[in-house]
Order: sequence, then C-alpha cells, then structure tokens
Amino acid sequence: MANTKVAIIAANGSLFDAYKVLNVATAAAASDAEVGIFFTFEGLNLIHKEGHKNLAIPEGKEHFQEGFERTNVPSIEELIGIAQELDIKLIACQMTMDVMNLEKEDFVDGIEVGGAASYIDYAKDANISLTF
Amino acid sequence: MSLVANETLDAKGLACPMPIVKTKKAIKNLDPGHVIEVQATDKGSTADIKAWSESTGHQYLGTVEDGEVLKHYIRKASEEETSEEKKHENVLDLDGLRSKLDGEENISILDVREPAEYAFGHIPGAVNIPLGELEERFNELNQDGDIHVICRTGNRSDLAAQKLSEKGYKNVKNVVPGMSDWQGPTEKSN
Repeated sequence: MANTKVAIIAANGSLFDAYKVLNVATAAAASDAEVGIFFTFEGLNLIHKEGHKNLAIPEGKEHFQEGFERTNVPSIEELIGIAQELDIKLIACQMTMDVMNLEKEDFVDGIEVGGAASYIDYAKDANISLTF
Repeated sequence: MSLVANETLDAKGLACPMPIVKTKKAIKNLDPGHVIEVQATDKGSTADIKAWSESTGHQYLGTVEDGEVLKHYIRKASEEETSEEKKHENVLDLDGLRSKLDGEENISILDVREPAEYAFGHIPGAVNIPLGELEERFNELNQDGDIHVICRTGNRSDLAAQKLSEKGYKNVKNVVPGMSDWQGPTEKSN
C-alpha cells in the first residue's frame, strides 16, 4: 500500500466515532499508506488535549462499556499516540476552532491547522476518502 | 504446536487494529527473508494479517490454531528474490520435475525455504534445509545422484545450487520457478 493515500474527515465526536476514524486510519498507516485526517465540528473532540481521553458513549448505548473493557480495545489516547507514531497527519479545522473559541494549544501536540481548502488539496489525489 | 520462526510476537488479548500495528513495528527489525510468528486471539486477525501482508508485500505463509491462540506466520519480503538473474545453468522446469515424480523415479528434492514455509506445503519426500543453514548442513545430502533444489521462486534455490556445485556435488538441478507455481501434490507438516 505504499503509494496509497487515504483522506479522512472526522466530523463527529462520540467514543464510537473516534474508534471508527482511528481504527481505519491506523490500519491504513500500518499498511504503509499515507494518511491524513481532517477534524471538524464535533470531530475536534478526538484530538482535544483533555477531551479525547474522556469521550462519551452515545446516549442509550452505555451498556457497550462492558464490551470495550472485556475485549481490551485500545484507549483513544493510545490510538492517537499510535497515529502520531505512524506519521498520520492530523489537521484541525480553523473555522470550527474559531467558532468554538479554541486555540492550537488546546489540542494534542503535533497537529496542523488548516481550512477546507487544505483538506481539498490533501484529498485531491487520494485513493481512498472517507467521512465519519 | 509451534513452527520454527526467527521471531515471535505476542499480540494475544489485543483487539483490532493492534495486532497489525504491532506486526508492522516488529517486522521492521526482522531480517529480510526471515519468518515471524504473530500470536493473536483477535478472531479477525487471520483475515487482517493476510490482507496486511498482501498490501505491504510480505509473504503470508499461513495460520495454525492452538486452542484460543491463532499463530500467524509471515515472511519478510526480501529484495534478493526479485532479481531475475540466475547463475546456475542446470535447471529443470516444474513439468520436468512432475514427470520424474510421476515416473516414480526415486529422486531427491531439496527444499531450501524457511521451515515455516516448508511446513505449510511442500512436495512429499522433499528434504528441508533452509538456504541459511546449507553451509553447515550440506553433508546431510548424498553426493551421488541428482539433487533437485527448489524454493518459492527459484532465486534461493539458484544460490543453493551454486553452493552445492562448489562443494563438489555434480548433478544439481535448480527447479524453476518453484513452489509458487507448483500444481502437483503437496503435503503439510503442521
């Protein structure tokens, strides 16, 4: 999968959304693909310095908590660390940051900040593009 | 049971995508051509390890189930095998080998792949000495009679055939291309 490029939009911020985004992203990067994720609106929760450690399970689905523990699924914190180790590009949406009054320092280290055009530029020659 | 592997990775108890993330890290430190055993309990890991190997160019050998544990065997890609140039001139194609076997000639076949590759499918009666051990073990082979050397694609067997010729073996044939295209009978030893 070298020479394969994956562009992902993360637009939702529950624990489930975080797993959907980060499992696919890390699996792709572990398969030697180049991966970039554009975090927008609630998706910013996934890279918020404190927020990503305590993402909520969607309402009414709290009973899944036990399953996460039983199956030893990695924590979101751990997956973000792996994503960075695998050189996945993490891009926070500037416009949403402005609306939510967030600064670059509010996020995990090593992210980039960009607008919609940055995502389009990154994704224009992607082989796989996904939205979560 | 366990097959012979150069390295073992314990990924037991880990959920997707951790088995492949760990495998990616571990294979970085493995020598090209060597085999890693990845132990996992994630039931999806068999399909994932296979797909991962295909997309990264490594060779998925197979999986052995040991109770709850899935043992996946992967051989790290090696550039040596992509070279087209073969130096040992005495070659035999697979049809030639097949007709010798069908003719019930008592022929000796030397399989120079890694033990785990051999275990997941080899020609019945073939003897396994991996290329890397041939220098120390060649004297296990009978000097008289033909020796048919085989590997996966014909490159390791080419090197082995050259080595045996240097050691004084007279009738060494490199079987080409190798097990990757072999349609005849095989047996497993795991």
